[in-house]
Amino acid sequence: MSELAWQRTPLLTMAFFFFRQIKQLVTNLSNLLPAFLGIFVAVKNNIWLLYIFIGGYVVFIIINAILQQRFYWYAIADDAVHVKTGVLNRQHLTLKYERIQQAEIHQTWYFRPFGLTLLNVDSAGSAGKEVMIPGLSLERAHYLRQQMLETQTQAPQTSGAPTTPAEEPGFRQHFSTAEIIRAGIIDNKLFVLLALLLYPAGQFDVFDNYIEPWLDQHLSWFSQDTAWLLVVLIFVVPILVLFILAIVVSLVLFHDLTVTIEGDRFQARSGAFTIRTLSFRYPKLQAVRIRRNLRARLLNRSVLKVSQLQPRQSAGQPSAQQFMLPVVAPALLATLREYLRLPNATDVHWQRLSTLALLKPSLWVAVLTPGALAFAYFALELEQYSFIFAGGLWLVLQVYFTLRWYNYRYTFASTSREQWFAVRRGVIGRSENWYPRHKIQQIDVVQGPWLRMLGFHHLILHTAAGSETIKYLPSEKALELQRDWTHAIASSHRRWM
Amino acid sequence: MTIQWVAPEQSYRSYLQLHSLFSMLILGAIGIALYLFEVTPINLVPWWVLVLIWLLLTLFFSVFFASRRFLFTAYARTEEAMHLKHGALFRSIRAVPLNRIQHVEYKQAFLERLFGIARLAIYTAGSGGADLTLPGLAPDVAMRFKEELLTTIANEPTEDVDGNE
Repeated sequence: MSELAWQRTPLLTMAFFFFRQIKQLVTNLSNLLPAFLGIFVAVKNNIWLLYIFIGGYVVFIIINAILQQRFYWYAIADDAVHVKTGVLNRQHLTLKYERIQQAEIHQTWYFRPFGLTLLNVDSAGSAGKEVMIPGLSLERAHYLRQQMLETQTQAPQTSGAPTTPAEEPGFRQHFSTAEIIRAGIIDNKLFVLLALLLYPAGQFDVFDNYIEPWLDQHLSWFSQDTAWLLVVLIFVVPILVLFILAIVVSLVLFHDLTVTIEGDRFQARSGAFTIRTLSFRYPKLQAVRIRRNLRARLLNRSVLKVSQLQPRQSAGQPSAQQFMLPVVAPALLATLREYLRLPNATDVHWQRLSTLALLKPSLWVAVLTPGALAFAYFALELEQYSFIFAGGLWLVLQVYFTLRWYNYRYTFASTSREQWFAVRRGVIGRSENWYPRHKIQQIDVVQGPWLRMLGFHHLILHTAAGSETIKYLPSEKALELQRDWTHAIASSHRRWM
Repeated sequence: MTIQWVAPEQSYRSYLQLHSLFSMLILGAIGIALYLFEVTPINLVPWWVLVLIWLLLTLFFSVFFASRRFLFTAYARTEEAMHLKHGALFRSIRAVPLNRIQHVEYKQAFLERLFGIARLAIYTAGSGGADLTLPGLAPDVAMRFKEELLTTIANEPTEDVDGNE
């Protein structure tokens, strides 16, 4: 191999390292709470310590950003990208193009005015290395990404490329602002924000220390009769503000959202300040998830997520790299389903669980109800109301479990081009998870004593994008499915990664 | 196609029994420590009742349950997949198609070395680290399996058919 041409990134990328450090602080905030508590206690009496802490931190991240930029070297070879990083702990990383899962260009807001971008590269493998090359010019990043993905797609292109583009003409859909507002309503960020705000508010006794005295002073004309107005003001107004804030966040994140499909490449581009591009290639698809929470159902929209092979490391948290469409209208969903080679929603024959699956939760509820009754009678001293309490509890739980059982469906649907298995569940919200059959990694059939008595097995299917359980299958059927599918997977040579 | 189930080595039974005995001993040691530091409500239950319960549990797990677990443990290797069934109470059968295997690991802990057995761990890309471990193999069998599986993986025809989808 020829000599590597090591390069530095532009000076401006110090901004990237600076913001990355701050982002790290924010994401680790909850872990650092004990430390903050310590600082808080120390600072309480001498406020100048606080300035030292903050000043010290700012100086630290500035120096850190400068050093990181100075010590960041990268080299582009014909078949791999090499990156050297680290001030004290040196790291030398080599990433082969053929192992690259994903290469995305992010136009972050601080790079955009200067025509620079951030190239984010994900590789396969259990360690799941993620490499960011900041401060590339736009055309250079595009060129690099092209090069990376081309090396990777060479294998299928030699045999199948001529047919694929002809079959599927490009698809393009732009999302209107109204749709994005709907996305904001559907999105759960409101509640995350609420939790984030409530926690410190609870810590500092905001209500006792500030709000109450202020109310005492200014709202003395409030009589007992209008007290409810006060409650409304205190609880509803902040929630409304947060609601609107969540919509604004959505508007910023998903501004100008455009989804394009070319051949087997799916791409979603959005962002008001930072332009994010999320994309995947169809052969790498591991799972399709269609979610509809209560608000989404009322608005008649869905949230669509497509998973690729996720490195184990980030399996727990939803990756920012995941392809996601926050609001999908029914017509668009039908089109996307076709492009994703999912069967038509109307053609799917969903299968229900056996009625016996309802037995176990019902028994539990029935057994626990007398306990609740005793608790209500003796501990809560509800007297005659304790029957209503326990009965109501029983009714709510029983209805919940019945609905859960009723809404749980599974199917083994296949279209001409792809075989799928899918599970649908949810009581209030709905979710549908679709997995291509040939991407299954392991198949389990399990049976506890209870299932043995009733003659059922659970079928657990492990894929690279998570596990899915198909519950309460009749034993022979579960074992037969395991045998057949193992055979089908073993004799299929289609690529699963 | 019928699956030929193969039982693990006989010494795996003794290994399981000793293993569960160790777990019970650790539990007993914790109990004695609690007793010495007077954390346990000694007045409620006389000490010999506790010892009796511990003895009965130990007998149950180490003699009966461990050998029952042994009875329900078996593996099978077919042309296309590796199967493992295990669990006495919660029984599970796992199938891993050979072309999904990522890597194979030969493992032998100290206690297993005493009994002359080894484990073979088979990893896939499935999530949650849920993989297949064949327990209680004779070391040479485990080694042979490892070689065979690695050859199978290496000769796997992949990607070539991918293009015509």
